[in-house]
Amino acid sequence: MKKQILLAEDDAMLASLLNYRLEKGGYEVVLKNDGKEVKEWLNQSLPDIIVSDIMMPYFSGIELVDYIRNDLKSTVPIILISSASNEENVLSAFEMGANDFISKPVSPSELLVRVSREISRVN
Amino acid sequence: MNTRKLLTQLSEIEDGLDQFSFAELSASEASDLKKSFETFKNGLENKVFGENKTETVIVDPNKPPKKVKAATESSLIANVSHEIRTPLNGIVGFIDLLKETKLTKKQQELINALGLASNNLLTIINELLDYSKLSAGKENFASIEFNLKNLLNELSYLSQTLIVNKKIKFNLDIDRNVPEVIIGDPSKLSQVLLNLLGNAIKFVEKGAIDFNICLISSNEHEIRLGFEISDTGIGIAKENLKKIFESYQQAELDTHQKYGGSGLGLSIVKEIVEQHKGTIAVSSLVGVGTTFKMEIPYQKAAQKSVGLKKSKESSLKSGKPLEGMTIIVFEDNLLNQKLITSRLENWGCKTVVTDNGLYGLKILNNHKVDVVLMDLRMPGMSGFDITKAIRNNTKKDIKNIPIIALSADFSKSDKEQFELLGINDFILKPFRPDNLLEKIINSKNKKMTERETKIEIMEPMNKTDLPTQELNLDAVLEDCMGQITLLNELVVLFKRNIIEFIGKTKIHLLNDDFDGVGFTSHKIKSGLRMLKLNGLVEICDQMSLVCKSNRDIKHLNFLYEEFLKEYEHIEPLIELEIERIKSK
Repeated sequence: MKKQILLAEDDAMLASLLNYRLEKGGYEVVLKNDGKEVKEWLNQSLPDIIVSDIMMPYFSGIELVDYIRNDLKSTVPIILISSASNEENVLSAFEMGANDFISKPVSPSELLVRVSREISRVN
Repeated sequence: MNTRKLLTQLSEIEDGLDQFSFAELSASEASDLKKSFETFKNGLENKVFGENKTETVIVDPNKPPKKVKAATESSLIANVSHEIRTPLNGIVGFIDLLKETKLTKKQQELINALGLASNNLLTIINELLDYSKLSAGKENFASIEFNLKNLLNELSYLSQTLIVNKKIKFNLDIDRNVPEVIIGDPSKLSQVLLNLLGNAIKFVEKGAIDFNICLISSNEHEIRLGFEISDTGIGIAKENLKKIFESYQQAELDTHQKYGGSGLGLSIVKEIVEQHKGTIAVSSLVGVGTTFKMEIPYQKAAQKSVGLKKSKESSLKSGKPLEGMTIIVFEDNLLNQKLITSRLENWGCKTVVTDNGLYGLKILNNHKVDVVLMDLRMPGMSGFDITKAIRNNTKKDIKNIPIIALSADFSKSDKEQFELLGINDFILKPFRPDNLLEKIINSKNKKMTERETKIEIMEPMNKTDLPTQELNLDAVLEDCMGQITLLNELVVLFKRNIIEFIGKTKIHLLNDDFDGVGFTSHKIKSGLRMLKLNGLVEICDQMSLVCKSNRDIKHLNFLYEEFLKEYEHIEPLIELEIERIKSK
C-alpha cells in the first residue's frame, strides 16, 4: 500500500513541485496550505509521515510539532522545511520532537531520500 | 477622550513592563529601556496636563470658545504626537532587541504583549498626527496629473488580495465617462478609498463589496467624480450613523474589542474629503449593509496623452528645498537615523539610511545619489573606509560625489585625514537643521558647476550598470524531472506569487505594518531561490532585516521600489529562458 505523506506548505510553487515529485516517488500526498487545515486533517486521521514548512499562516511548524507530540501523543515522523532565517527555530523543533529538517531552497531529490529514510526507520 | 485613550494604552505598556523580568538584561540595557520609557511618559503627561492649564487662560471672550479649543487641541495633539513618536520608536526598537536575546517562554509572551501594545500605540499616534495635521489645515495637497484608472484598478486588486479567505465578491465598475487621467492628489485619494474599502472588508463576512465610480458633472476645467462603496456587512444602527465621522467614535463600544482600530479612520477620511471641497455620506441598515457615497472635484488634465507617468511635483513649493534629490546617510545610531531621516524627509528628498557600508556602496553603484552624509564612527566598515571605497570607485559619478562627514568630535588629525581622503565638508553633532541644509545645498551646487565645466569629458551614462541577471532554469527543469509542463506551471505560480507579494507588501507598507512586510518578504524568498534569482533574494533579505531592526519605512519603500525595478527587468528573461528550454 502507498504510504501517505501530509505535505503542509503555503507556498503554492514549492508545494506544487514537491507534490509532483513525492507522487512520482510513489507516495500518496495530502496537500494542506496552512496550519489550520493541517490541524483539522490530523484530527481526522494520521498520515505515515508529515513534511511541513516552519513558517505558515495560523499555526507554525513548531507549534505543529508541539501539537502532534504533546496533544495527539503521536510519534509520526515529522520533517520540517526551514529557511536560513529561522534556523534557530529548528533547534527548538528538534527539542520538541521533530525528526529531521531540510533547508530552503529544497532539493526535491534530497527530500525524497529523507522521507524514505524516516519511513524505513519507523518500519 | 483622546488623551484618555493614549493614557490607557500607556498604562498597559507600563503593566507589561512591570511584569517583565529584567534579570536577563544587562544593567545598561535595562536602564536604557526604563529611561526611554520614563522620558516618554513624563513628556506625555507634561504636555497633556501642562497645556490644559493654560487653555483656560488664553480663551478670548470675543471669540467663540469652541473654535479656540479645537485649534489648541489639534496643535496640542500634533506636538504631543510628534514628541511621543521618537521615544516610542526607541521603545519598539528595544523591545525588538530584547526579543533577540535568550528569553524564557513566559518572558517571550510578556515581551510580545509589550510589543503589541507599543505598536498599537504607535498606530494611534500616527493617526492622531495625520488627523491633527488635517484639522489644523497644515496638510498640503498635491496637484499632479495621475492615472485614475490605474489607481482604481490597483486598489481593487489590493482589496481582492485581502478577501481571498472570505466568501466575498468584489465588483469594480468604472463608468465609461470617467476620464483616465485627472489632476489632484493621488495619494490622498488612495488613502481615502483604502480606508473605506478596508472598512468594508473588515466588516463583511460574506456577500459582496461593490465599488462604483461615475462622472457626476464636468465643465471646462473641472470634473466631479462620484465614488460609491457598498457592502453587505454588519451595518450600522441608525442612532450611531450620525456619529461615525466623529473623531474617536466607533459605532458601538464593543466594535473596538472585536475589530480594533483607533476610531480615527473615518474622521480622517471626512477631513480629507472636505478639504478637497467634496462631500461624503453614509447610509446603512443593520444586518443588510452599508453604503458610502463620496463626491470629489478634480481638475481636468490638459491632454490625456502623457498622463501615464506621475509628473513631478513642483519643487518651487516652499518648504521642500531638496525636492528631487537622493541622499544616502551612513549612520548607525537608531535615534540619529530617525532624526536625520525625518529632517531630510521634510525637505522633500529621497533618503536612504543604512549602517552597512557594503549595502550603501551597492546602492551608490546602482542609483543616482546626489550627496552622501557620513557618520565617521560606525562599527564594521568605518566612515573613513567607506569614503576610501567611494573615492576609489571607477565610475566618475560615484567617485566625485560630495561627502559630508557627521561627527560628534573632530580632532586635528581627523581634519587632515578629510583632506587626504577627499571628504568635502563636515558638520559637528548635534547640528542645527538649517546648518545641515545649507551644507547640502552648497555641496550640490558645487557639484553642479563642476559638472557643467567638465561636461565635455563626462562619460555617457551607462545604462547597463545594473547587474545583468543570468537566468538559467536547467536546474529547476531537472528538479521537475524534465517535465516542461510542470516547469511552466511553476513559472505561472511564481508569477502569481510575485503579484501577490507586490500587492500585499504595498498594503503593508501603506499601513506601516512591519510584521506584514517581514512575512511577505520572507515568504517570497522560497520561490526566488528556486529560480536562483539571487539579486531579488538579496533585496528581500534586506527588507526582512529592516523589518527586524530599525523599521525604517523609507528604507523599506526604497527596497520595495528596487524590487519592482529589478523584477521588471527579470520577467522577460524568464519568458526567454522558457522559450530556450522548449526549443531544446
